[in-house]
Amino acid sequence: MEKRGDMQLKKGKKTARKVWKARYLYLMLVPLFIWLIIFHYGPMYGILLAFKKYRANAGIWGSQWVGLANFRRIFITPDSLKAIRNTVLISLGRIVFGFPPPIILAILINEMRGRKLKKVYQTIYTFPHFLSWVVVGVIMTNLLSTNGAVNTLMAGLGMEKVSFLTDKTLFVVMMFITGIWKGVGWSAIIYMAAIAGIDPALYEAARIDGASRLQQIRYITLSGISATISIVLILQIGQVMNAGFDQIFNMRNATVAGAVQILDTYVYDITFEATPNYGFSTAVGLFKSVINFTLLMTANVVVGRLTGQRLYSSE
Amino acid sequence: MKKKKRKKYDGMDIFSFVALTLLAMSIVIPFWNAVVISFETSSAYLNKPFSWLPGEFTLANYQELMRQGEGLVRAYMNTIKVTVIGVAAGMSIMVMSAYAFSREFPGKKGLFMVMLFTMYFGGGLVPTYLLIKNLGLIDTHAGVILLGLSSTYNIIVMRNGFQSIPVELSEAAVIDGASDPAIFFKVMLPLQKPMIATFTLFTAVGCWNNWYWPMLILNSRSKVLLQIFLRSLINATSALTQQEMIESADAIRSYSLGIQMAAVFMVVLPIMLVYPFLQKHFAKGMLVGGVKM
Repeated sequence: MEKRGDMQLKKGKKTARKVWKARYLYLMLVPLFIWLIIFHYGPMYGILLAFKKYRANAGIWGSQWVGLANFRRIFITPDSLKAIRNTVLISLGRIVFGFPPPIILAILINEMRGRKLKKVYQTIYTFPHFLSWVVVGVIMTNLLSTNGAVNTLMAGLGMEKVSFLTDKTLFVVMMFITGIWKGVGWSAIIYMAAIAGIDPALYEAARIDGASRLQQIRYITLSGISATISIVLILQIGQVMNAGFDQIFNMRNATVAGAVQILDTYVYDITFEATPNYGFSTAVGLFKSVINFTLLMTANVVVGRLTGQRLYSSE
Repeated sequence: MKKKKRKKYDGMDIFSFVALTLLAMSIVIPFWNAVVISFETSSAYLNKPFSWLPGEFTLANYQELMRQGEGLVRAYMNTIKVTVIGVAAGMSIMVMSAYAFSREFPGKKGLFMVMLFTMYFGGGLVPTYLLIKNLGLIDTHAGVILLGLSSTYNIIVMRNGFQSIPVELSEAAVIDGASDPAIFFKVMLPLQKPMIATFTLFTAVGCWNNWYWPMLILNSRSKVLLQIFLRSLINATSALTQQEMIESADAIRSYSLGIQMAAVFMVVLPIMLVYPFLQKHFAKGMLVGGVKM
């Protein structure tokens, strides 16, 4: 540290003094950056595999270069094309069906009377967010199985049994519903914060003008949180490549596996199958990461333009 | 939202109350159902798959769970170990970094970008797996802890928390001759106790729920973690789930179902215990940083 300080002293005393003054700050960042370099930048070296044919005894560097062959293979393999299609479709489905519920929930909580009950309910709604999909998967699989609670209740009402988990379309619908079930309370928090920021005088004035509660929701609450709504929507569109690995991995079964094969599960499957091709797996992973990165960056820039503030700036 | 008390309940009141109550029930009932099944005999379950109270109370599922797995006890001990070490190490790194990034120093922007980039882009499954393998971390708890050590998102939110402390406070300390470590330990940490408590719990829950990389890199039975233990219980019966498609009533399945639900309850219980503390703080701690976008 001292040596570095000395060298810069020649260039500019000022910077050196600043660096020296901040020496403890650099020291505090050392563990993080050692970790980032090993565990985040380290694997980036392995991305070379996407352009190689991996042989375990040759290692990453020693394996033979194959150019873009692995990437070409993505576009001629029906399974990977299907995984790309499923990823986009399932993500869009999640946005279409999953985007409005947290907004509605936040508004309903805001409209409900009874402070104590509200608190209790909010506590309940947020809870599933803190459980893993391993746990939620077990609970949901049991609940939705042919002799589970849902079918029993439906039978009690004189309805036919439904195979929620083995019918391909129904299974995708169940993915959406259980996804909402787990996340809706958590996702509503951001809207509730936005609603809390609306000036109460607006509601007061609207009431005096004779606005009904629905009108108040429409013209005050919804318009008051419209900026938040667009931000969340754009950020979600930026996440299109992440179609919910944890959930699908923990809930899928052999019958529906093809219908919910997304890029992440596909990479997992081809990596841990009997005769894996690490080069191809890495290429599929990289293909996904690059698109994902581009989408996230675009979403951040758009949100930045909208709010006039950079998302996650260093300032 | 403050509103004047209206005396009459209108349609909106009734609708929001009913809708919210139904949602709350849809969340509570599946858990309750799981707990009931775990305390039930297989015959009682087969008789009535959904009941409010165990049809026939038994602790057999828990006893069987204990007997089958010395596994469960070991998984508990291992998970506690991984969680405690992961939280202690991870939080130290994250809090220190968050504080450093809340201050000004030459090269801050560049370092921040180096950190931020990892939030958006990574090597992916195979390269990460090979790295772990090359470092000799396969089948070690160290590998599990190291892979999930820090979270850039948490650092940024905590950084925002530190930034929200008025500059005058730290400037006053500087004038008094305090160094960065002194400001960090004597001014910043005490002032941001609730935030740090919140993130400690977040991180702890994250460690407790960690399953993906543990599943990939741990393979000996003595290293098993709770989530993996639960997964293996389910996979052990997944062959029967296929059979279940053919014949719906299967005595063995429902019996193993009781054990599964007992395991679910054991895995969720600690989270339920810390949840009230978590809930008390996350609205404040999380939102203050999280919404600032």
